[in-house]
Amino acid sequence: MRAPRRTAALAGAFVLLLLAGLVGLLVGGVHLSLPDLVAGGGPASESARLVVSLRAPRVGLAALVGACLALAGAALQALLKNPLADPFLLGTSGGAAVGAALAAVAGFSPFVSPAAAFAGAVASSLTVAALARRGGRLDLQRLLLAGLIANAFFSAVLLGVFSVASGQTARTMLFWMMGSLADATPARVLALAPYAAAGFGVLAAFAARLNLFAVGEENAAALGVDVETSKRVVFVAASLLTGAAVAFAGIIGFVGLLVPHAARAVVGNDQRTLLPVSAIAGAALLAAADAASRSVFAPAELPVGAVTAAIGAPVFAWLLLRSS
Amino acid sequence: MSAVLEARGLCASYGATRALDGLDAEIRRGELAALLGENGSGKSTFLKVLARIVAPKAGEVLLDGRPLAAVGRRESARRIAYLPQSLDLVFPIRCLDLVLQGRAPHARGFSADSAEDLERAFAAMRACDVEELADRDAAALSGGERRRVFLARALAQDAEIWLLDEPASGLDLRHRLEFLGLLDRTHAERGTTVLLVTHEIDLAAELADRVILLRRGRVLASGRPDETLTPDRLRATFGVESRIEVDAQGRRRVVPYAPAG
Repeated sequence: MRAPRRTAALAGAFVLLLLAGLVGLLVGGVHLSLPDLVAGGGPASESARLVVSLRAPRVGLAALVGACLALAGAALQALLKNPLADPFLLGTSGGAAVGAALAAVAGFSPFVSPAAAFAGAVASSLTVAALARRGGRLDLQRLLLAGLIANAFFSAVLLGVFSVASGQTARTMLFWMMGSLADATPARVLALAPYAAAGFGVLAAFAARLNLFAVGEENAAALGVDVETSKRVVFVAASLLTGAAVAFAGIIGFVGLLVPHAARAVVGNDQRTLLPVSAIAGAALLAAADAASRSVFAPAELPVGAVTAAIGAPVFAWLLLRSS
Repeated sequence: MSAVLEARGLCASYGATRALDGLDAEIRRGELAALLGENGSGKSTFLKVLARIVAPKAGEVLLDGRPLAAVGRRESARRIAYLPQSLDLVFPIRCLDLVLQGRAPHARGFSADSAEDLERAFAAMRACDVEELADRDAAALSGGERRRVFLARALAQDAEIWLLDEPASGLDLRHRLEFLGLLDRTHAERGTTVLLVTHEIDLAAELADRVILLRRGRVLASGRPDETLTPDRLRATFGVESRIEVDAQGRRRVVPYAPAG
Protein backbone atom coordinates (compact mmCIF):
# COMPACT_ATOMS: atom_id res chain seq x y z
CA MET A 1 0.00 0.00 0.00
CA ARG A 2 1.22 3.44 -0.86
CA ALA A 3 2.19 5.65 2.06
CA PRO A 4 -0.53 8.37 1.71
CA ARG A 5 -3.33 5.77 1.82
CA ARG A 6 -1.75 4.17 4.86
CA THR A 7 -1.62 7.53 6.63
CA ALA A 8 -5.22 8.28 5.66
CA ALA A 9 -6.38 4.92 7.01
CA LEU A 10 -4.54 5.42 10.29
CA ALA A 11 -5.94 8.94 10.61
CA GLY A 12 -9.46 7.72 9.86
CA ALA A 13 -9.24 4.98 12.50
CA PHE A 14 -7.91 7.52 14.96
CA VAL A 15 -10.84 9.87 14.32
CA LEU A 16 -13.20 6.95 14.99
CA LEU A 17 -11.39 6.30 18.25
CA LEU A 18 -11.68 9.96 19.31
CA LEU A 19 -15.41 9.95 18.52
CA ALA A 20 -15.97 6.68 20.38
CA GLY A 21 -13.98 7.99 23.34
CA LEU A 22 -15.98 11.21 23.39
CA VAL A 23 -19.28 9.33 23.29
CA GLY A 24 -17.95 7.06 26.05
CA LEU A 25 -17.36 10.09 28.26
CA LEU A 26 -20.78 11.60 27.56
CA VAL A 27 -23.27 8.71 27.73
CA GLY A 28 -24.27 6.39 30.55
CA GLY A 29 -26.54 6.55 33.61
CA VAL A 30 -26.15 10.34 33.50
CA HIS A 31 -25.96 11.86 30.02
CA LEU A 32 -23.67 14.82 29.61
CA SER A 33 -23.63 17.29 26.76
CA LEU A 34 -20.55 18.55 24.95
CA PRO A 35 -20.77 21.98 26.68
CA ASP A 36 -20.82 20.16 30.06
CA LEU A 37 -17.57 18.51 29.11
CA VAL A 38 -15.74 21.66 28.01
CA ALA A 39 -17.25 24.21 30.43
CA GLY A 40 -15.20 25.00 33.53
CA GLY A 41 -16.46 26.17 36.99
CA GLY A 42 -20.04 26.23 38.32
CA PRO A 43 -21.88 23.53 40.25
CA ALA A 44 -23.17 21.74 37.13
CA SER A 45 -19.67 21.28 35.74
CA GLU A 46 -18.48 20.12 39.18
CA SER A 47 -20.69 17.03 38.90
CA ALA A 48 -19.79 16.71 35.20
CA ARG A 49 -16.13 16.64 36.14
CA LEU A 50 -16.85 13.90 38.67
CA VAL A 51 -18.69 11.81 36.07
CA VAL A 52 -15.87 12.30 33.58
CA SER A 53 -13.22 11.36 36.12
CA LEU A 54 -15.11 8.11 36.72
CA ARG A 55 -15.68 7.40 33.04
CA ALA A 56 -12.28 8.36 31.65
CA PRO A 57 -10.44 5.30 33.02
CA ARG A 58 -13.25 3.10 31.77
CA VAL A 59 -12.96 4.53 28.26
CA GLY A 60 -9.18 4.11 28.46
CA LEU A 61 -9.47 0.48 29.59
CA ALA A 62 -12.04 -0.30 26.88
CA ALA A 63 -9.74 1.19 24.25
CA LEU A 64 -6.67 -0.76 25.40
CA VAL A 65 -8.56 -4.06 25.76
CA GLY A 66 -10.15 -3.57 22.33
CA ALA A 67 -6.75 -2.83 20.80
CA CYS A 68 -5.20 -5.97 22.37
CA LEU A 69 -7.99 -8.27 21.19
CA ALA A 70 -8.11 -6.84 17.66
CA LEU A 71 -4.31 -7.12 17.31
CA ALA A 72 -4.31 -10.72 18.53
CA GLY A 73 -7.10 -11.58 16.09
CA ALA A 74 -5.43 -9.89 13.11
CA ALA A 75 -2.10 -11.59 13.77
CA LEU A 76 -3.65 -15.05 14.24
CA GLN A 77 -5.70 -14.67 11.05
CA ALA A 78 -2.60 -13.93 8.99
CA LEU A 79 -0.42 -16.54 10.71
CA LEU A 80 -2.97 -19.33 10.32
CA LYS A 81 -4.20 -18.05 6.94
CA ASN A 82 -7.69 -18.29 8.37
CA PRO A 83 -10.20 -15.43 8.45
CA LEU A 84 -12.11 -17.19 11.24
CA ALA A 85 -9.21 -17.14 13.72
CA ASP A 86 -9.99 -15.17 16.86
CA PRO A 87 -8.65 -15.46 20.42
CA PHE A 88 -12.17 -16.05 21.72
CA LEU A 89 -13.18 -18.70 19.17
CA LEU A 90 -9.84 -20.51 19.47
CA GLY A 91 -10.23 -20.81 23.24
CA THR A 92 -7.31 -18.51 24.10
CA SER A 93 -9.57 -16.08 25.98
CA GLY A 94 -11.20 -18.95 27.90
CA GLY A 95 -7.80 -20.34 28.93
CA ALA A 96 -6.73 -16.88 30.05
CA ALA A 97 -9.93 -16.44 32.08
CA VAL A 98 -9.45 -19.79 33.81
CA GLY A 99 -5.83 -18.88 34.62
CA ALA A 100 -6.76 -15.48 36.00
CA ALA A 101 -9.83 -16.77 37.85
CA LEU A 102 -7.94 -19.59 39.54
CA ALA A 103 -5.21 -17.16 40.60
CA ALA A 104 -7.86 -14.82 42.03
CA VAL A 105 -9.63 -17.65 43.87
CA ALA A 106 -6.30 -18.83 45.24
CA GLY A 107 -5.95 -15.37 46.77
CA PHE A 108 -3.15 -13.88 44.64
CA SER A 109 -3.05 -10.09 44.22
CA PRO A 110 -4.89 -8.71 41.16
CA PHE A 111 -1.55 -7.70 39.66
CA VAL A 112 -0.58 -11.37 39.38
CA SER A 113 -3.62 -12.02 37.22
CA PRO A 114 -2.03 -10.92 33.88
CA ALA A 115 0.74 -13.49 34.41
CA ALA A 116 -1.79 -16.18 35.33
CA ALA A 117 -4.00 -15.23 32.37
CA PHE A 118 -0.97 -15.33 30.06
CA ALA A 119 -0.07 -18.80 31.35
CA GLY A 120 -3.67 -19.91 30.79
CA ALA A 121 -3.68 -18.42 27.29
CA VAL A 122 -0.42 -20.14 26.32
CA ALA A 123 -1.56 -23.47 27.78
CA SER A 124 -4.82 -23.18 25.86
CA SER A 125 -3.06 -22.25 22.59
CA LEU A 126 -0.71 -25.23 22.88
CA THR A 127 -3.55 -27.64 23.68
CA VAL A 128 -5.76 -26.37 20.86
CA ALA A 129 -2.85 -26.48 18.41
CA ALA A 130 -2.03 -30.05 19.48
CA LEU A 131 -5.66 -31.10 19.02
CA ALA A 132 -5.80 -29.48 15.60
CA ARG A 133 -2.55 -31.01 14.34
CA ARG A 134 -2.92 -33.72 11.78
CA GLY A 135 -0.06 -35.20 9.78
CA GLY A 136 2.36 -32.57 11.07
CA ARG A 137 0.29 -29.54 10.08
CA LEU A 138 -2.46 -27.43 11.59
CA ASP A 139 -5.80 -28.38 10.09
CA LEU A 140 -8.10 -25.37 9.94
CA GLN A 141 -11.40 -27.19 10.39
CA ARG A 142 -9.97 -29.03 13.34
CA LEU A 143 -8.60 -25.80 14.78
CA LEU A 144 -12.09 -24.32 15.12
CA LEU A 145 -13.46 -27.57 16.56
CA ALA A 146 -10.57 -27.73 19.01
CA GLY A 147 -11.39 -24.15 20.05
CA LEU A 148 -14.98 -25.20 20.62
CA ILE A 149 -13.87 -28.12 22.80
CA ALA A 150 -11.51 -25.89 24.77
CA ASN A 151 -14.22 -23.29 25.31
CA ALA A 152 -16.68 -25.93 26.55
CA PHE A 153 -14.08 -27.20 29.00
CA PHE A 154 -13.12 -23.73 30.22
CA SER A 155 -16.69 -22.64 30.81
CA ALA A 156 -17.25 -25.87 32.75
CA VAL A 157 -14.30 -24.98 34.99
CA LEU A 158 -15.48 -21.40 35.43
CA LEU A 159 -19.08 -22.49 36.14
CA GLY A 160 -17.85 -25.17 38.53
CA VAL A 161 -15.80 -22.71 40.56
CA PHE A 162 -18.65 -20.20 40.36
CA SER A 163 -21.19 -22.64 41.78
CA VAL A 164 -19.10 -23.57 44.82
CA ALA A 165 -17.78 -20.06 45.42
CA SER A 166 -19.59 -17.49 47.51
CA GLY A 167 -19.81 -13.72 47.89
CA GLN A 168 -16.87 -11.82 46.47
CA THR A 169 -15.40 -14.88 44.72
CA ALA A 170 -18.64 -15.58 42.90
CA ARG A 171 -18.79 -11.97 41.73
CA THR A 172 -15.19 -12.28 40.52
CA MET A 173 -16.02 -15.44 38.58
CA LEU A 174 -19.00 -13.76 36.98
CA PHE A 175 -16.68 -10.96 35.93
CA TRP A 176 -14.29 -13.36 34.10
CA MET A 177 -17.15 -15.19 32.44
CA MET A 178 -19.17 -12.23 31.19
CA GLY A 179 -16.47 -9.66 30.69
CA SER A 180 -16.75 -6.20 32.21
CA LEU A 181 -15.03 -2.85 32.10
CA ALA A 182 -16.75 -1.60 35.25
CA ASP A 183 -13.70 -2.07 37.49
CA ALA A 184 -11.61 0.41 35.51
CA THR A 185 -9.21 2.58 37.47
CA PRO A 186 -6.30 4.70 36.23
CA ALA A 187 -3.93 2.20 37.88
CA ARG A 188 -5.43 -0.71 35.95
CA VAL A 189 -5.22 1.20 32.68
CA LEU A 190 -1.56 1.94 33.36
CA ALA A 191 -0.94 -1.69 34.30
CA LEU A 192 -2.39 -2.95 31.01
CA ALA A 193 -0.56 -0.45 28.79
CA PRO A 194 2.89 -2.13 28.84
CA TYR A 195 1.40 -5.49 27.79
CA ALA A 196 -0.43 -3.86 24.90
CA ALA A 197 2.71 -1.97 23.87
CA ALA A 198 4.94 -5.06 24.08
CA GLY A 199 2.49 -7.20 22.09
CA PHE A 200 2.11 -4.54 19.43
CA GLY A 201 5.88 -4.02 19.22
CA VAL A 202 6.57 -7.70 18.61
CA LEU A 203 3.78 -8.10 16.06
CA ALA A 204 4.80 -4.92 14.22
CA ALA A 205 8.32 -6.34 13.87
CA PHE A 206 6.80 -9.51 12.38
CA ALA A 207 4.24 -7.75 10.15
CA ALA A 208 6.13 -8.33 6.89
CA ARG A 209 6.67 -12.01 7.78
CA LEU A 210 2.94 -12.27 8.50
CA ASN A 211 2.28 -11.04 4.96
CA LEU A 212 4.21 -14.07 3.70
CA PHE A 213 2.29 -16.37 6.07
CA ALA A 214 -1.01 -14.92 4.83
CA VAL A 215 -0.24 -16.46 1.42
CA GLY A 216 0.84 -19.72 3.05
CA GLU A 217 3.28 -21.20 5.49
CA GLU A 218 5.19 -22.86 2.63
CA ASN A 219 5.37 -19.49 0.91
CA ALA A 220 6.97 -17.96 4.01
CA ALA A 221 9.45 -20.83 4.34
CA ALA A 222 10.47 -20.64 0.67
CA LEU A 223 11.12 -16.89 1.04
CA GLY A 224 13.58 -17.38 3.88
CA VAL A 225 11.40 -17.11 7.00
CA ASP A 226 12.23 -19.41 9.90
CA VAL A 227 8.58 -20.46 10.16
CA GLU A 228 8.77 -22.45 13.39
CA THR A 229 10.38 -19.59 15.31
CA SER A 230 8.02 -17.04 13.78
CA LYS A 231 4.96 -19.11 14.68
CA ARG A 232 6.14 -19.38 18.27
CA VAL A 233 6.83 -15.66 18.56
CA VAL A 234 3.47 -14.65 17.08
CA PHE A 235 1.57 -17.19 19.20
CA VAL A 236 3.27 -15.93 22.35
CA ALA A 237 2.59 -12.28 21.44
CA ALA A 238 -1.07 -13.02 20.66
CA SER A 239 -1.40 -14.99 23.91
CA LEU A 240 0.21 -12.14 25.84
CA LEU A 241 -2.23 -9.61 24.35
CA THR A 242 -5.22 -11.88 24.95
CA GLY A 243 -4.09 -12.80 28.45
CA ALA A 244 -3.61 -9.16 29.43
CA ALA A 245 -6.97 -8.12 27.95
CA VAL A 246 -8.79 -10.95 29.75
CA ALA A 247 -6.96 -10.31 33.03
CA PHE A 248 -8.30 -6.75 33.12
CA ALA A 249 -11.71 -7.17 31.49
CA GLY A 250 -12.73 -10.84 31.46
CA ILE A 251 -13.86 -12.67 28.33
CA ILE A 252 -15.05 -10.32 25.59
CA GLY A 253 -15.67 -12.17 22.35
CA PHE A 254 -15.66 -11.33 18.65
CA VAL A 255 -13.56 -8.13 18.78
CA GLY A 256 -10.60 -10.03 17.35
CA LEU A 257 -12.80 -11.43 14.59
CA LEU A 258 -14.78 -8.33 13.66
CA VAL A 259 -12.18 -5.61 13.63
CA PRO A 260 -9.53 -7.14 11.34
CA HIS A 261 -12.28 -7.98 8.85
CA ALA A 262 -13.65 -4.48 8.73
CA ALA A 263 -10.15 -3.03 8.59
CA ARG A 264 -9.10 -5.45 5.82
CA ALA A 265 -12.08 -4.42 3.72
CA VAL A 266 -10.86 -0.82 3.88
CA VAL A 267 -7.05 -1.01 3.83
CA GLY A 268 -6.33 -4.43 2.28
CA ASN A 269 -4.32 -7.24 3.83
CA ASP A 270 -0.85 -5.69 4.19
CA GLN A 271 -0.18 -6.46 7.87
CA ARG A 272 2.14 -3.47 8.17
CA THR A 273 -0.96 -1.29 7.75
CA LEU A 274 -3.61 -3.74 8.93
CA LEU A 275 -2.09 -4.32 12.39
CA PRO A 276 -1.94 -0.66 13.50
CA VAL A 277 -5.31 0.13 11.89
CA SER A 278 -6.86 -2.90 13.60
CA ALA A 279 -5.41 -1.84 16.95
CA ILE A 280 -6.89 1.65 16.73
CA ALA A 281 -10.20 0.45 15.26
CA GLY A 282 -10.44 -2.26 17.95
CA ALA A 283 -9.96 0.42 20.60
CA ALA A 284 -12.73 2.47 18.98
CA LEU A 285 -15.09 -0.51 18.67
CA LEU A 286 -14.81 -1.58 22.30
CA ALA A 287 -15.07 2.00 23.59
CA ALA A 288 -18.25 2.39 21.52
CA ALA A 289 -19.60 -1.03 22.58
CA ASP A 290 -18.99 -0.13 26.21
CA ALA A 291 -20.79 3.19 25.77
CA ALA A 292 -23.71 1.27 24.25
CA SER A 293 -23.70 -1.27 27.09
CA ARG A 294 -24.02 1.57 29.60
CA SER A 295 -26.72 3.54 27.81
CA VAL A 296 -29.04 1.18 25.91
CA PHE A 297 -30.89 0.01 29.04
CA ALA A 298 -29.66 2.77 31.38
CA PRO A 299 -29.55 2.80 34.33
CA ALA A 300 -29.11 -0.97 33.95
CA GLU A 301 -25.84 -2.07 32.33
CA LEU A 302 -25.49 -4.79 29.71
CA PRO A 303 -22.33 -6.92 29.82
CA VAL A 304 -20.09 -5.44 27.11
CA GLY A 305 -19.46 -8.97 25.81
CA ALA A 306 -23.18 -9.22 25.03
CA VAL A 307 -22.91 -6.13 22.85
CA THR A 308 -19.85 -7.40 20.95
CA ALA A 309 -21.47 -10.84 20.55
CA ALA A 310 -24.70 -9.29 19.27
CA ILE A 311 -22.67 -7.64 16.49
CA GLY A 312 -20.08 -10.40 16.14
CA ALA A 313 -22.21 -13.54 15.94
CA PRO A 314 -24.13 -12.51 12.80
CA VAL A 315 -20.89 -11.39 11.13
CA PHE A 316 -19.29 -14.72 12.05
CA ALA A 317 -22.28 -16.54 10.54
CA TRP A 318 -21.96 -14.48 7.37
CA LEU A 319 -18.21 -15.25 7.11
CA LEU A 320 -18.90 -18.95 7.62
CA LEU A 321 -21.50 -18.97 4.85
CA ARG A 322 -19.20 -17.09 2.52
CA SER A 323 -16.15 -19.29 3.20
CA SER A 324 -17.82 -22.57 2.19
CA MET B 1 29.77 -28.67 -15.27
CA SER B 2 29.89 -28.24 -11.53
CA ALA B 3 27.05 -29.19 -9.20
CA VAL B 4 25.24 -26.17 -7.82
CA LEU B 5 22.97 -28.38 -5.73
CA GLU B 6 23.84 -31.79 -4.46
CA ALA B 7 21.68 -34.16 -2.42
CA ARG B 8 23.34 -36.85 -0.34
CA GLY B 9 21.31 -39.64 1.22
CA LEU B 10 18.22 -37.46 1.68
CA CYS B 11 15.41 -38.95 3.75
CA ALA B 12 12.13 -37.18 4.46
CA SER B 13 8.73 -38.31 5.63
CA TYR B 14 5.25 -37.00 6.35
CA GLY B 15 4.09 -38.74 9.50
CA ALA B 16 4.44 -42.45 8.73
CA THR B 17 4.78 -41.95 4.97
CA ARG B 18 8.36 -42.09 3.76
CA ALA B 19 8.68 -39.68 0.84
CA LEU B 20 12.45 -39.64 0.30
CA ASP B 21 14.54 -42.70 1.07
CA GLY B 22 18.22 -42.02 0.68
CA LEU B 23 18.08 -39.87 -2.42
CA ASP B 24 21.37 -38.89 -4.08
CA ALA B 25 21.31 -36.38 -6.92
CA GLU B 26 23.28 -33.58 -8.52
CA ILE B 27 21.89 -30.47 -10.17
CA ARG B 28 24.43 -28.80 -12.42
CA ARG B 29 24.85 -25.08 -12.83
CA GLY B 30 22.83 -23.64 -15.70
CA GLU B 31 21.03 -26.82 -16.68
CA LEU B 32 17.31 -27.41 -17.00
CA ALA B 33 16.61 -30.69 -15.26
CA ALA B 34 13.27 -32.50 -15.12
CA LEU B 35 12.23 -34.76 -12.27
CA LEU B 36 9.93 -37.55 -13.38
CA GLY B 37 8.26 -40.27 -11.37
CA GLU B 38 4.89 -41.67 -10.42
CA ASN B 39 2.70 -40.19 -7.69
CA GLY B 40 4.33 -40.52 -4.31
CA SER B 41 7.81 -41.08 -5.77
CA GLY B 42 9.09 -38.06 -3.85
CA LYS B 43 9.37 -35.47 -6.65
CA SER B 44 7.53 -32.65 -4.91
CA THR B 45 9.09 -33.49 -1.57
CA PHE B 46 12.58 -33.27 -3.07
CA LEU B 47 11.71 -29.82 -4.41
CA LYS B 48 10.37 -28.77 -1.00
CA VAL B 49 13.51 -29.97 0.77
CA LEU B 50 15.62 -27.90 -1.65
CA ALA B 51 13.32 -24.90 -1.06
CA ARG B 52 13.68 -25.46 2.71
CA ILE B 53 9.96 -25.93 3.15
CA VAL B 54 10.45 -29.49 4.39
CA ALA B 55 13.37 -30.37 6.66
CA PRO B 56 15.09 -33.65 5.77
CA LYS B 57 15.09 -36.40 8.42
CA ALA B 58 18.53 -37.54 7.34
CA GLY B 59 21.14 -36.73 4.72
CA GLU B 60 22.05 -33.29 3.48
CA VAL B 61 21.83 -30.83 0.62
CA LEU B 62 24.93 -28.97 -0.53
CA LEU B 63 24.59 -25.55 -2.13
CA ASP B 64 27.83 -24.83 -4.01
CA GLY B 65 29.47 -27.45 -1.83
CA ARG B 66 28.27 -25.85 1.41
CA PRO B 67 25.72 -27.69 3.59
CA LEU B 68 22.38 -25.94 3.04
CA ALA B 69 21.59 -26.24 6.75
CA ALA B 70 24.62 -24.03 7.45
CA VAL B 71 23.52 -21.37 4.93
CA GLY B 72 21.23 -18.66 6.32
CA ARG B 73 17.59 -19.10 5.35
CA ARG B 74 17.42 -15.65 3.83
CA GLU B 75 20.65 -16.17 1.92
CA SER B 76 19.41 -19.40 0.36
CA ALA B 77 16.04 -17.75 -0.37
CA ARG B 78 17.86 -15.04 -2.32
CA ARG B 79 19.40 -17.75 -4.48
CA ILE B 80 16.59 -20.31 -4.76
CA ALA B 81 13.07 -19.49 -5.97
CA TYR B 82 10.20 -21.93 -5.54
CA LEU B 83 7.14 -21.89 -7.80
CA PRO B 84 4.31 -23.85 -6.18
CA GLN B 85 1.98 -26.13 -8.08
CA SER B 86 -1.15 -24.42 -6.81
CA LEU B 87 -2.06 -21.29 -4.94
CA ASP B 88 -4.85 -21.49 -2.42
CA LEU B 89 -5.47 -17.88 -1.43
CA VAL B 90 -7.74 -16.94 1.45
CA PHE B 91 -6.98 -13.24 1.68
CA PRO B 92 -6.91 -10.72 -1.16
CA ILE B 93 -3.48 -9.86 -2.52
CA ARG B 94 -2.56 -7.84 -5.60
CA CYS B 95 -0.31 -9.50 -8.15
CA LEU B 96 2.20 -6.71 -7.65
CA ASP B 97 2.39 -7.50 -3.93
CA LEU B 98 2.79 -11.19 -4.70
CA VAL B 99 5.72 -10.37 -7.00
CA LEU B 100 7.14 -7.94 -4.42
CA GLN B 101 7.24 -10.82 -1.94
CA GLY B 102 10.06 -12.15 -4.09
CA ARG B 103 12.07 -9.20 -2.79
CA ALA B 104 11.37 -10.11 0.85
CA PRO B 105 14.56 -12.15 1.41
CA HIS B 106 16.57 -9.17 0.16
CA ALA B 107 14.82 -6.63 2.41
CA ARG B 108 15.34 -5.63 6.01
CA GLY B 109 12.75 -7.34 8.18
CA PHE B 110 11.29 -8.93 5.00
CA SER B 111 9.63 -5.55 4.33
CA ALA B 112 10.15 -5.06 0.61
CA ASP B 113 8.78 -1.77 -0.65
CA SER B 114 11.78 0.39 -1.52
CA ALA B 115 11.90 2.16 -4.87
CA GLU B 116 14.43 -0.44 -6.04
CA ASP B 117 12.13 -3.30 -5.02
CA LEU B 118 9.24 -1.75 -6.94
CA GLU B 119 11.41 -1.14 -9.98
CA ARG B 120 12.64 -4.73 -10.02
CA ALA B 121 9.13 -6.08 -9.51
CA PHE B 122 7.79 -4.08 -12.46
CA ALA B 123 10.75 -5.01 -14.65
CA ALA B 124 10.16 -8.69 -13.87
CA MET B 125 6.43 -8.35 -14.59
CA ARG B 126 7.24 -6.71 -17.93
CA ALA B 127 9.61 -9.53 -18.80
CA CYS B 128 6.84 -12.05 -18.15
CA ASP B 129 4.16 -9.94 -19.82
CA VAL B 130 2.01 -9.61 -16.70
CA GLU B 131 2.49 -5.90 -16.04
CA GLU B 132 -1.17 -5.17 -16.73
CA LEU B 133 -2.14 -7.62 -13.97
CA ALA B 134 -0.30 -5.61 -11.29
CA ASP B 135 -3.43 -4.34 -9.53
CA ARG B 136 -5.53 -7.47 -10.04
CA ASP B 137 -6.32 -9.78 -7.13
CA ALA B 138 -4.12 -12.86 -7.50
CA ALA B 139 -7.04 -15.12 -6.56
CA ALA B 140 -8.75 -14.19 -9.83
CA LEU B 141 -5.87 -15.31 -12.07
CA SER B 142 -6.13 -18.10 -14.60
CA GLY B 143 -3.65 -20.98 -14.38
CA GLY B 144 -1.46 -19.55 -17.12
CA GLU B 145 -1.44 -16.06 -15.61
CA ARG B 146 -0.55 -17.43 -12.19
CA ARG B 147 2.44 -19.33 -13.62
CA ARG B 148 3.69 -16.19 -15.32
CA VAL B 149 3.19 -14.06 -12.19
CA PHE B 150 5.21 -16.59 -10.16
CA LEU B 151 7.92 -16.68 -12.80
CA ALA B 152 8.01 -12.86 -12.56
CA ARG B 153 8.38 -13.27 -8.83
CA ALA B 154 11.34 -15.61 -9.32
CA LEU B 155 12.92 -12.98 -11.59
CA ALA B 156 12.28 -10.23 -9.03
CA GLN B 157 13.79 -12.49 -6.41
CA ASP B 158 16.97 -12.46 -8.52
CA ALA B 159 17.32 -16.16 -7.79
CA GLU B 160 19.77 -18.21 -9.82
CA ILE B 161 17.98 -21.50 -9.12
CA TRP B 162 14.33 -22.02 -9.97
CA LEU B 163 12.34 -24.93 -8.57
CA LEU B 164 9.04 -25.46 -10.41
CA ASP B 165 6.37 -27.88 -9.27
CA GLU B 166 4.30 -29.09 -12.24
CA PRO B 167 4.62 -25.86 -14.24
CA ALA B 168 2.33 -27.02 -17.05
CA SER B 169 -0.35 -28.97 -15.23
CA GLY B 170 -3.88 -27.70 -15.78
CA LEU B 171 -2.89 -25.39 -18.62
CA ASP B 172 -4.61 -25.59 -21.96
CA LEU B 173 -2.45 -26.16 -25.04
CA ARG B 174 -1.91 -22.55 -25.96
CA HIS B 175 -1.06 -21.38 -22.43
CA ARG B 176 1.13 -24.42 -21.96
CA LEU B 177 3.18 -23.56 -25.04
CA GLU B 178 3.30 -19.90 -24.08
CA PHE B 179 4.45 -20.57 -20.54
CA LEU B 180 7.03 -23.19 -21.44
CA GLY B 181 8.36 -20.90 -24.17
CA LEU B 182 8.70 -18.06 -21.66
CA LEU B 183 10.38 -20.36 -19.15
CA ASP B 184 12.86 -21.68 -21.70
CA ARG B 185 13.66 -18.17 -22.96
CA THR B 186 14.15 -16.53 -19.56
CA HIS B 187 16.19 -19.48 -18.33
CA ALA B 188 18.47 -19.23 -21.36
CA GLU B 189 18.80 -15.43 -21.12
CA ARG B 190 19.67 -15.43 -17.46
CA GLY B 191 21.62 -18.64 -17.30
CA THR B 192 19.60 -19.86 -14.36
CA THR B 193 19.51 -23.42 -13.13
CA VAL B 194 16.02 -24.93 -13.41
CA LEU B 195 14.71 -28.03 -11.71
CA LEU B 196 11.13 -28.86 -12.58
CA VAL B 197 8.79 -31.60 -11.51
CA THR B 198 6.43 -32.96 -14.12
CA HIS B 199 4.18 -35.84 -14.99
CA GLU B 200 4.60 -35.23 -18.67
CA ILE B 201 7.27 -37.26 -20.37
CA ASP B 202 6.94 -35.18 -23.55
CA LEU B 203 7.55 -31.96 -21.68
CA ALA B 204 10.70 -33.38 -20.11
CA ALA B 205 11.89 -34.73 -23.43
CA GLU B 206 11.38 -31.41 -25.23
CA LEU B 207 12.64 -29.01 -22.62
CA ALA B 208 15.15 -30.68 -20.35
CA ASP B 209 18.90 -30.96 -20.71
CA ARG B 210 18.74 -33.82 -18.27
CA VAL B 211 16.06 -36.09 -16.89
CA ILE B 212 16.09 -37.53 -13.37
CA LEU B 213 13.83 -40.52 -12.78
CA LEU B 214 12.60 -41.07 -9.23
CA ARG B 215 11.17 -44.26 -7.82
CA ARG B 216 10.13 -44.66 -4.18
CA GLY B 217 12.18 -41.76 -2.92
CA ARG B 218 15.40 -42.64 -4.75
CA VAL B 219 16.97 -41.79 -8.08
CA LEU B 220 16.50 -44.64 -10.51
CA ALA B 221 18.41 -43.08 -13.38
CA SER B 222 19.49 -39.72 -14.74
CA GLY B 223 20.94 -38.48 -17.98
CA ARG B 224 20.11 -36.96 -21.36
CA PRO B 225 16.43 -37.40 -22.23
CA ASP B 226 17.09 -39.58 -25.28
CA GLU B 227 19.34 -41.88 -23.25
CA THR B 228 17.16 -41.96 -20.15
CA LEU B 229 13.61 -42.10 -21.45
CA THR B 230 13.79 -45.67 -22.72
CA PRO B 231 11.06 -48.32 -22.60
CA ASP B 232 13.02 -50.29 -19.97
CA ARG B 233 13.47 -47.31 -17.69
CA LEU B 234 9.89 -46.17 -18.10
CA ARG B 235 8.68 -49.64 -17.19
CA ALA B 236 10.77 -49.48 -14.00
CA THR B 237 9.73 -45.91 -13.18
CA PHE B 238 6.06 -45.80 -14.08
CA GLY B 239 5.10 -49.43 -14.53
CA VAL B 240 4.04 -48.91 -18.15
CA GLU B 241 4.90 -50.44 -21.52
CA SER B 242 5.92 -47.82 -24.07
CA ARG B 243 7.47 -47.46 -27.50
CA ILE B 244 9.56 -44.72 -29.02
CA GLU B 245 8.27 -43.02 -32.15
CA VAL B 246 9.96 -40.38 -34.27
CA ASP B 247 7.62 -37.66 -35.57
CA ALA B 248 7.77 -35.76 -38.89
CA GLN B 249 10.07 -33.11 -37.35
CA GLY B 250 12.49 -35.81 -36.31
CA ARG B 251 11.59 -35.48 -32.61
CA ARG B 252 11.63 -38.52 -30.42
CA ARG B 253 8.30 -39.23 -28.77
CA VAL B 254 7.63 -41.66 -26.00
CA VAL B 255 4.25 -43.33 -26.36
CA PRO B 256 3.06 -45.31 -23.35
CA TYR B 257 0.41 -47.82 -24.47
CA ALA B 258 -0.30 -50.28 -21.63
CA PRO B 259 0.29 -50.89 -17.93
CA ALA B 260 3.20 -53.27 -17.46
CA GLY B 261 2.18 -56.82 -16.48
